[in-house]
Amino acid sequence: MKNRRRSRQPSARSVPAEGDGAVVFDRLYRDHVDRIYRFAQRLCGQVEDAQDLVQDTFLNAYRGLEGFRGDAQVSTWLYRIAARACLRLRRKRKGEPARELSLDEFIPTSEGEFRLQLPTDGLSPEEALENKELKRALHQAIQKLPNKYRVVLVLRDMEGLTAKEVGTIMGLNERAVKSRLHRARLFVRRELSARGIGEPSRPSKAIQQG
Amino acid sequence: MSTRMTSAHSHHGHSKAQCIKVLRRLSAYLDDELSVSICKEIRKHMGACPNCEVFVTSLRQTISLCRCADVPSLSPAAKARLRREILRAIRSH
Ligand SMILES: [Zn+2]
Repeated sequence: MKNRRRSRQPSARSVPAEGDGAVVFDRLYRDHVDRIYRFAQRLCGQVEDAQDLVQDTFLNAYRGLEGFRGDAQVSTWLYRIAARACLRLRRKRKGEPARELSLDEFIPTSEGEFRLQLPTDGLSPEEALENKELKRALHQAIQKLPNKYRVVLVLRDMEGLTAKEVGTIMGLNERAVKSRLHRARLFVRRELSARGIGEPSRPSKAIQQG
Repeated sequence: MSTRMTSAHSHHGHSKAQCIKVLRRLSAYLDDELSVSICKEIRKHMGACPNCEVFVTSLRQTISLCRCADVPSLSPAAKARLRREILRAIRSH
């Protein structure tokens, strides 16, 4: 890559951190690090991995800055870099084959499967998530998703992007995004409901008998 | 809820094929992407099919849990440390 940035030290090519590059980097980092870290945690499930992913993302973003044409939103661009970096990290670590989720595997075959329920009855999602066991199960279910489904679910249902935005980030059409999203949700539902998680504690209604 | 269920779906006056049709469209239904007439059809089915009604409830809850699940934010110290590390990596190249 050619670097036309002026540098005070002619010996070191591409030294930012002193001039314009540093200013640009700092602005990028300041404005987006919280979002990217949140996204990274949701994707990786672990603090250390998430921090590695943040580093990779901003490093790659910095290196690709000249290629960023500003025709995409900065956040979309960063999400894309982070999602790619995450897939790379995972592939390297686990060597896991890309598993496809077929819709058929989520079609209940028995009454029992149909009627699996989540222990959230009558609670708001916030209240339900006070149940540590449920929170952990949710977390594990998301981590268990094959990569390409997890990224879509995290972007759409956790980061709150539209299907169109997710498509731009993943290089997919909306139809493909929605198809992956549906399978991912069905997967998580089945994981959560099949685990027999205990009743959440209900602080306000705990003392009922009497 | 302790409704006793009979095992065959046909007891509710529809076939399992209809349930499958509904299940395939549930995300689109919950995301409000279907036409009014298809939504009406799905609601009608759920009114007559407790299985699909329970299923859609649990899927809706799953989505709300995902939307509400929070993660801890980066501490200022970690933020500063990461920034230093990234800058070091940039310079070392
Ligand atoms: Zn049904």
